[in-house]
Amino acid sequence: MDPTRQSIDQVLLVVGISAYITGALVLLAYFLTRRPLLRTIGMPIATIGCVAQILELGARWWMTGVWPLTNLYGSLSMFSAMAVAIFLIFAVKYDLAFLGGPVLAAAAIALGYATTWNEGTMPAVPALQSYWIKIHVPIVVTSYAAFMVAACVSAIYLLKAGMERRYASRGLRGVIATAGGPKLDVSMNAYAATADDMLRTSRDETPAITQAATAGDGLAQWLAGLPTLARLDVMQYRIIAVGLPLLSLGIITGAMWAKEAWGAYWQWDPKETAALASWIIYAMYMHLHTRPEWRGSRTAWISVIGFISIMFCYLGVNIWISGLHSYKM
Amino acid sequence: MEARSRNGLGASALASLHESWDDLVRLFANVTFGVFLLAVWAVLTLIGVVIDQGKDPTYYAQNYAPPLARAILRLDCDNIYHSAAYIGILGLILCSMAAATFTKVIPRRIPRLNPVKIDAIPLHAKIAVDEPVDAVRERLVAFFSQRGWQVRKREFGGTEWAFADKNNWARRGVLVAHIGFLIIAIGTTIYWAKGYSGQFTVLSGQTATIPESGAKIALQRFAYRIDPIRTKSGIVYQPIDYVSNATVTGRDGVGRQAVIRVNHPYDVDGVDVYQSTYGFAIDFQLTKDGRPVAGPDHPLKEGEAFIVDGTGRSIQYARFVGTIDRATGQPGLDPRPNDPGVVIQAFDGDQPVGSALIPLGTAVDLGAGYRLEAARYILYSGFQYRYDPGIPVVGIGSFVLLAGLCISFYFLPARLFVLVRERAEGGTEVGIAATTVRGYDVFEERFGEIVAALRRTHGVKTTEVPAAAALGTA
Repeated sequence: MDPTRQSIDQVLLVVGISAYITGALVLLAYFLTRRPLLRTIGMPIATIGCVAQILELGARWWMTGVWPLTNLYGSLSMFSAMAVAIFLIFAVKYDLAFLGGPVLAAAAIALGYATTWNEGTMPAVPALQSYWIKIHVPIVVTSYAAFMVAACVSAIYLLKAGMERRYASRGLRGVIATAGGPKLDVSMNAYAATADDMLRTSRDETPAITQAATAGDGLAQWLAGLPTLARLDVMQYRIIAVGLPLLSLGIITGAMWAKEAWGAYWQWDPKETAALASWIIYAMYMHLHTRPEWRGSRTAWISVIGFISIMFCYLGVNIWISGLHSYKM
Repeated sequence: MEARSRNGLGASALASLHESWDDLVRLFANVTFGVFLLAVWAVLTLIGVVIDQGKDPTYYAQNYAPPLARAILRLDCDNIYHSAAYIGILGLILCSMAAATFTKVIPRRIPRLNPVKIDAIPLHAKIAVDEPVDAVRERLVAFFSQRGWQVRKREFGGTEWAFADKNNWARRGVLVAHIGFLIIAIGTTIYWAKGYSGQFTVLSGQTATIPESGAKIALQRFAYRIDPIRTKSGIVYQPIDYVSNATVTGRDGVGRQAVIRVNHPYDVDGVDVYQSTYGFAIDFQLTKDGRPVAGPDHPLKEGEAFIVDGTGRSIQYARFVGTIDRATGQPGLDPRPNDPGVVIQAFDGDQPVGSALIPLGTAVDLGAGYRLEAARYILYSGFQYRYDPGIPVVGIGSFVLLAGLCISFYFLPARLFVLVRERAEGGTEVGIAATTVRGYDVFEERFGEIVAALRRTHGVKTTEVPAAAALGTA
């Protein structure tokens, strides 16, 4: 790549990573303080970062003629862009801006790590010279990104559910005794609650938090302002419902490619089997989510475990375990 | 009397057997049991990812602590995907799916149209409308029909109920997904029963035969391209292309020119032939006291060895070195044969006794008057072949599975129960409740939108929502 083109690539990369870091900080501040202004600033920054990153990948392809997802840098870069894109879609559709801080922070870390694998542009090895790379890799990476966003929702669910248990076990005596300052109107402070939102605010599934919040406990007031557990569970389910069909399609397209490149649609390669293990974990999630008694903290834990498995499949297998997918560079 | 007693015993044994069978089916159809089986499957799969598969037992002894190596070998963890435990768990999962499919998924009918207690359903709302009952009923039917709901009316005890259903067909999504999984299992079984696969190498100018089909592959030329690429961390020699030019002769006996490269397999009589590896075979020449003696009878490929007659020692061709760094005498980075050599290793029985890097065309002294020369290299091409009649079935199964997942996730079967009544204080009250196959939370927003749209459509002047609609657990 000539220096001018290289500098375009660099500028877009810097814009992307700066936007993610800034956006993460602003939206984390929104997550903690819930000032609408921070959300108004943070969301466009996240959008700028995502667009810059997609442009950077597109520019690389255009300038070098080499599909940018042939190495770990390219795929991690797309992973972070897709994670932010999925977050933005869900944030706009379901009012989930509070999720921006964790998602953008993770995207920034992924992109920062990706740059350590950036060796410039190289032609693809023979195994990767196939039209399947333009189908299989984006699908799989987008599924990983969806699971990352889902894991962020699961973590928030577990935080709130865990704190509810803690408040419930602690009782309210201490809280009431130490309460001071003005009382906070919990429903007005909630992300999702609006004045006529009779459907959402009617059920209190975290009574201990609500009571502690009413008594003036600051942490409880903050927790009470998070979306309800039911809503977090539904959001987590919806995002996994995006990721799981994509992962399934990714495994299927990968099998079709493997059939063309290696002679068998399934080789028991570490990457394939790790993807299968992740698929099984999310299949478990989906089965258990049909059971009311399992829905909630248990399924949230499975979502977190599933994401750990996805990360092992994505990075662990690529970096530590050699196999047919060990392209690394 | 005795016969009757025997009959009674038989009937009781049969009843007991029937009961046990029912218990077994119930266990296998249980979702939690199915999930337990999936968890075991996931753990076994991950064990296979972490532990290297298909290696020689000595590999495990060298790379793992002795107790762990023993456990790996005893528990078949070195070949876990073909172990009895792995195949067994897959069998149990298929049984569990079959039990769930036949006892739960297929019998699950669309629920009957019955009246409900609107207030008792967690997702409900009531809307007051200043219009006569009949007009409201008419408009409600139009409202739901326009939005794609299938509306049916029923009268119970003189009270008219309206039921609006959406995506009822999607109740079969889970069944479709399970059927997809079963089709995949059938496809893989077809390969086990009828398919075959293998691999072979063939030197340039020689011919190889696929034993199962009798197809012949005569390799005319193998070519590769490796380019030096400058990266941030230095020069990297990147493989760009591997290609075999061959004449392939199938059952019809007609030779056809074939170009076989990675990602472009060649089909001969339904058997796919794939470019998989390549290498440099070496023509070794052995002399003793300056005279040629019997050495290897064919060019050796990497890893192959020959015994030096009368010595008990063997020489293994360990690896090919494309470029020897003349300054250091060590292998260089460039894999292309610019200044090639070979690494050989000498063994006394099983014990390695030394190794050497020999530039091509030069001889190395093996002792006792023996000298070995790596005379020239010959490129060879490695192929895989596979006949798999189950592939179309697996493909169909995969897409049926995917379709089932998409139906289950994106089309939520829901039912609305609508009761329109006159209010004592005048006007009409619309009571509406919703149920779905996945509980209430997942439909909460949509229900809110429907209620809001209903209010707008009916131009409600005074809206009353008695006892704010509650959300309960599904």
